Amino acid sequence: MKPASPLWRLLTVALVLAIGAGMYWATLKVNYQWRWERVPEYLLVTGGEEVPAPFDGTVAVNGKQIRITPLLGGEPQAIPDIDVVQVSDGEIVFAGNTVGKKAGITPGPLLIGLWVTLKISALSLVFALVLGLIAGLGRVAHNPAARDLAAIYVELIRGTPLLVQMFIVYFFLGTVLNLSGFVAGVTSLAVFTGAYVAEIVRAGIEAVPKGQMEAARSLGMSHWQGMRKVVLPQALKRSLPPLAGQGINLIKDSSLVSIMALTDLTKAGREVVSSTFSPFEVWFTVALMYLLLTGALSVYVRKLEKKMAHD
Amino acid sequence: MTKSESAAEVLIEVRQVEKRYPNGTLALKGVSLAINRGEVVCIIGPSGSGKSTLLRTLNALESISSGEILMDGISVHAAKTDLNELRTHAGMVFQQFNLFPHMTALENIMLAPVEVLKLPVAQARTRAEKLLAKVGLADKAGNRPSQLSGGQQQRVAIARALAMQPRVMLFDEPTSALDPEKVGEVLDVMKDLAAEGMTMVVVTHEMGFARAVADRVLFMDRGELVYQDAPEAFFTGATNERLRAFLGQVAAH
Repeated sequence: MKPASPLWRLLTVALVLAIGAGMYWATLKVNYQWRWERVPEYLLVTGGEEVPAPFDGTVAVNGKQIRITPLLGGEPQAIPDIDVVQVSDGEIVFAGNTVGKKAGITPGPLLIGLWVTLKISALSLVFALVLGLIAGLGRVAHNPAARDLAAIYVELIRGTPLLVQMFIVYFFLGTVLNLSGFVAGVTSLAVFTGAYVAEIVRAGIEAVPKGQMEAARSLGMSHWQGMRKVVLPQALKRSLPPLAGQGINLIKDSSLVSIMALTDLTKAGREVVSSTFSPFEVWFTVALMYLLLTGALSVYVRKLEKKMAHD
Repeated sequence: MTKSESAAEVLIEVRQVEKRYPNGTLALKGVSLAINRGEVVCIIGPSGSGKSTLLRTLNALESISSGEILMDGISVHAAKTDLNELRTHAGMVFQQFNLFPHMTALENIMLAPVEVLKLPVAQARTRAEKLLAKVGLADKAGNRPSQLSGGQQQRVAIARALAMQPRVMLFDEPTSALDPEKVGEVLDVMKDLAAEGMTMVVVTHEMGFARAVADRVLFMDRGELVYQDAPEAFFTGATNERLRAFLGQVAAH
């Protein structure tokens, strides 16, 4: 095959630039004020953590030293680690009032949201893999009950929208069993993704030639020994690329947990938009952060695949 | 039956075995057969004649519809038989080798002794190394099947089956998937095995091997055991019409 002309690459770049320019032009049409400079403060808060007053009292300020004498009487108490003093000498504060800020950088709402999304996705993925493996084995089992149960699970979950499942888990199960939003979110995502993992595992097992199990059985191994030692290792290796795709879907689907009073990345984005009135910048930033998570996962899986190919 | 084939020496007995597929096809039609300890039996016949099916019923990889198969007096297809235990006594070698691709040659051989016989790993390793040397592949212990030629893979597969120290070895067209120049090395290993007194049932198209090594040759056609005899008589003096037609076809190639 003759190498493709580099002009095609140039065309790609030109088209991407044209789309970008078109979007920029569109924002000009609606008179949009770009204020990218406002985004960083929602990622990282440089002011540091706010320090509340522990009780009602009178403040004595000496440089960065704050001492509060309780109004109800008692020894004055020093407030440590203050970097920015936000009260003046002699002022009276009440318990919970901010007296100053600590030094250092703390994560802003978007980073906190990213962390919540990461936690939910990672936990759900672990449970989904376990659930999917069990259901996938059920799909290829000889036992009719195991086969039917697994089939019902897969069909039921794949046939209904995730959002509807989440409403059921959160508002019905969540109320009956008193589940927190986090538990409900992880549960619904794991159950949903598990159904797809089950189908991937089933396909992986069925792609392993029949002769492999026959060879294992002919050596006196039980069906389960043959599955565990011979078929599954090969099946899972084949399943890695589709599993990676499912993991990426899981991360993206996790944005739906924002219905469950959980401040994940999407919910955080919505909150930041309402306080900045800069929806374009915020949503682009949020999209980029999701891309970071999904990109990291697909790079990791590709590395794993390469490593397994060498083994 | 000659005098030497007394009942005490029979290892495998096949009694009136029929195999009917769910679609109604009769794969085995009342096959009866006795295989003695230490005997090498070759089964030949056209494709679809049921010879592989018969072989696979001997260790119950294939079920039967009626009849009975006894191995060492144990009914192979009886519901109460511990098939896993029984299969440890019958080594099987497949046409497509069926080595485990995610394991090295050595690991392929060690797996069942460790998993099934619960042999200590060190002991299984020693046994596997000895068997690899026996099939002439001591230097390939760390190779994956994908790094071995077809002939080498099949020799590893034979070693893997031998690792269970079986009473009988079942060969299902062991050289049919090999390049012609690799057939010899596998047949040589099988010849050595026969010379050591291993009981062997071999489904094959290698007439030369059957003639040189077998104690008895069986001809199957359309699910029936049509004819059996010692190799010399089988290949030269047979008067059976279907056998002569088959041998004529093979010779024409």
